[in-house]
Amino acid sequence: MRSSSIIGSALLALVVFQACKKNEAPVAVPTLTERTISGIPADTIVGMVNGQPVGAGKFTFFSFETNAVVPSTDSNSVKWDLGVRGTTIITNGGNSGPGAGGAFVYVGTFDDLKAVPKDSVFRQDNAPVSYAVPNSSNKGWYVYNPVSLLITPIPGRVLVFKTAKGKYAKVEILNYYKGGITPSATASDTEKLKNQRYYTFRFAYQADGTMNFK
Amino acid sequence: MRVFFSLVFSLFVVDAFAQVPLDTSVAASLDEVVVTATRTPRSMGNVAIPVSVISSKTLYQSGSLRLNDILAEQTGIQVIDNFGKGIQVQGLSSEYTLILIDGEPLIGRTAGVLDLSKITVRNIRKIEIVKGPSSSLYGSEAMGGVINIITDRAGQNNTAIGLRYGRFNTVDGNLNFSRRFNKTDIAASLNYNQSKGYSLKPNAVQKTVEPFRRSTQTLSIHHQLGDHWKAGASFRANSSHIDNTIFVQNLGSTIASKGFEKNEEYNFAPYLQFNKEQKIKSNLRGYLTGFNAVQELAVKNATGGYDDRFKQLFARVENQTDWQVAKNAALTAGAGIVRETVRSNRYDTASTLRGNTIAYFFTQHEQKISNKLTMIGGVRFDANQAYASVWSPKIALQYKPSEKVKLNLSYGRGFKAPDFRQLYLNFTNLAAGAYSVFGSEVAGAEIKRLLAAQLLDQTTSLIGSLSALKPEVSGGLNLGIAYTLNASSHFTANIFRNDLKNMIVNDIIAFKKNGGQIYSYFNLKRALTQGIELGAQQKIGQWIQLNAGYQFLYTADKEVLQSIKKGEVFQRSLSNGQAYRMSLADYGGLPNRSRHAANLKFNAENAKGYFSTIRIMYRSRWGTSDLDGNGLINRSDEYAHGNLQVNASMGLPMNSHLKFMAGVDNLFNYKDVQFLPGNPGRTAYVDIQFIF
Repeated sequence: MRSSSIIGSALLALVVFQACKKNEAPVAVPTLTERTISGIPADTIVGMVNGQPVGAGKFTFFSFETNAVVPSTDSNSVKWDLGVRGTTIITNGGNSGPGAGGAFVYVGTFDDLKAVPKDSVFRQDNAPVSYAVPNSSNKGWYVYNPVSLLITPIPGRVLVFKTAKGKYAKVEILNYYKGGITPSATASDTEKLKNQRYYTFRFAYQADGTMNFK
Repeated sequence: MRVFFSLVFSLFVVDAFAQVPLDTSVAASLDEVVVTATRTPRSMGNVAIPVSVISSKTLYQSGSLRLNDILAEQTGIQVIDNFGKGIQVQGLSSEYTLILIDGEPLIGRTAGVLDLSKITVRNIRKIEIVKGPSSSLYGSEAMGGVINIITDRAGQNNTAIGLRYGRFNTVDGNLNFSRRFNKTDIAASLNYNQSKGYSLKPNAVQKTVEPFRRSTQTLSIHHQLGDHWKAGASFRANSSHIDNTIFVQNLGSTIASKGFEKNEEYNFAPYLQFNKEQKIKSNLRGYLTGFNAVQELAVKNATGGYDDRFKQLFARVENQTDWQVAKNAALTAGAGIVRETVRSNRYDTASTLRGNTIAYFFTQHEQKISNKLTMIGGVRFDANQAYASVWSPKIALQYKPSEKVKLNLSYGRGFKAPDFRQLYLNFTNLAAGAYSVFGSEVAGAEIKRLLAAQLLDQTTSLIGSLSALKPEVSGGLNLGIAYTLNASSHFTANIFRNDLKNMIVNDIIAFKKNGGQIYSYFNLKRALTQGIELGAQQKIGQWIQLNAGYQFLYTADKEVLQSIKKGEVFQRSLSNGQAYRMSLADYGGLPNRSRHAANLKFNAENAKGYFSTIRIMYRSRWGTSDLDGNGLINRSDEYAHGNLQVNASMGLPMNSHLKFMAGVDNLFNYKDVQFLPGNPGRTAYVDIQFIF
């Protein structure tokens, strides 16, 4: 009963939509999901070893398709698309995972990127030497300030992903700290350490396998 | 507020004592003879270049102790607290302003900043400030302007003792002596200055400003050898000692280290001068100055610690000859040789010597074309051993359509030589990411060494651009108008524009296998500063003088402007955290620059010397550091708050031998712990002077 009413209203919408734009091709049911995700922990700091802050060393895996964190027991599967550990971002491909994943960094705004450019080259992870999303300050998605010791995502950097199953997604990292709030530059080192390694990002995932983000 | 009103009130009480009117018209100040703008004595109203003078009386009445105190109150100048109190002129930072004492340059800069608080102003006659490039006369560093501290007190023939006590146990003692014996003038001074420092955060373990003590001794002798010959020498020694207790928070654990910082500086300047009936004047001068800095920090219960040694030496011989060719033409020519050396463990071992030799000549021609039009043209050439040579021309025009109006137009080129740090620094930070910084002259060899040792991972495209550094250069245009309404009112306006290129910045040339980055220096950046400076002087009645000043300043990195125009620069919204394209209007320009700065100074003085001053300084917000990841100043939270500072003082002369004064700086106790650590808040002081 419920599913038929959804289909019914979708059909109705289709008819109405087509009625408005007679000269255009039929429009499919929307396959693009756009979400903002917050509080994804990325190997949060558990202690100090030799004066260096350390986490447990584990990645957190995320699936664009299900819009959810994937348990690490599924790390050797195509169930996840993006993994985070500290500032390192991995794709499900290359030597990071069994999938078809890859990524590159697009310079522009999230909304600018209306489709993956045809001539795009998706880079592959070759951990720990290089990553599809370069993992150093001012090279990939973030900049590290050696004075304030804060990590800030560079504005105008969109991470374009090929997912484990070969579909496309775009990601904008919004923040690297708990609650999506970067501590003040004058906050204590302890506070800066305690609250870091929590990702806030928004993404758009195209389920139909095309390169469009519209 | 109550303090303010009682001060204003007391001002009128003081004024009530006044009986005899003074004759100090505003216009009279234009007859003041200045030497810095053209390296020849000229009355201020006849100089086609923006120049201003701070008199010893202003210094005294403002209660200034150190050079930064008084410069912070001048229109178009900001004092920036970074590696000491540096100066910003026409939007150019401290490394681009030349500081002279009696025409000789001061050395001892840290990261390009000459700390103005090293310099006492209790023993000087006046300060001359020239704005705009003056490298055509002074060579390196004279890009934003030249500040010349003139100490000559030879004619005063007195002994004065000054004592000051103020908040934070600030003590300043000063002895000035000058005597004329027949054909010999002798002047000497001693200055001692100390403070116990202060904490801006109430319970902080580390003080914001550590306890320090400084002293300065000067001696000068001038002797008339005959009708035409004069010889003399001046000597100055300056030292400062700062106690350091530093608590470093290193990844959660606090490390305490104790130590000190010691700076010593000395200058010696002999001269021999020939002067014939205002026709020809020739001056042969020698100059030797040294700067030694030591910084030691010992970590409690640990070996190692921090040990920094820096020794700089600057020696120069120069001749300048001024020739009055005709009634309407004057020619100045000069030449000299400079030898400069540095030894520092920042570069190699503390015993390795790094040096540069400079040979230069300059010439300047001043032609009075008509009664209304005067033209000055000059050029200087600096041939350097350690970096590229440079020409610095300058041309200036003054047009006086009437007695009341003066129009000034000048264009000059300025330059700043690469400093020893940019040439020879060899620094590897083992604590923070093992990054290295190599000066341009040593980078090539260091890269080869790392490559041979198989420590190098990869190089960047910049490595191909490694080459001998060129001097940073600027072109500066000044267009000014001065209007004297009457003996009581005087107005000035000056439009300026400085275009800087070949600015030296550091950038990554390679990565080490351990992940550390390797930086070196390149002539990469281009920038501009432009604005307008306005001034008004108004005398009200017989005793009151009002001065108002304003500067509008626009600055930008030219590469950034281009990128913004191309749509390649982004910023992150404070509200939703999303990135969007930056517009030109969002760009806040170079850091530490305030778009608006203004001052209003109120001075009342009667014939007996009772005085009262109120000086109000405003500075609009200025960019501090990037917070949204684009490396630029753009978002509202990336600025420090604009602020108003009010200083007041008053003086009570008892008789010709005894003078009292008292004052309050920062009357409304404005503080900014994060961005103005050098501002301790409200500071009161009392001051007594004995004159024999």
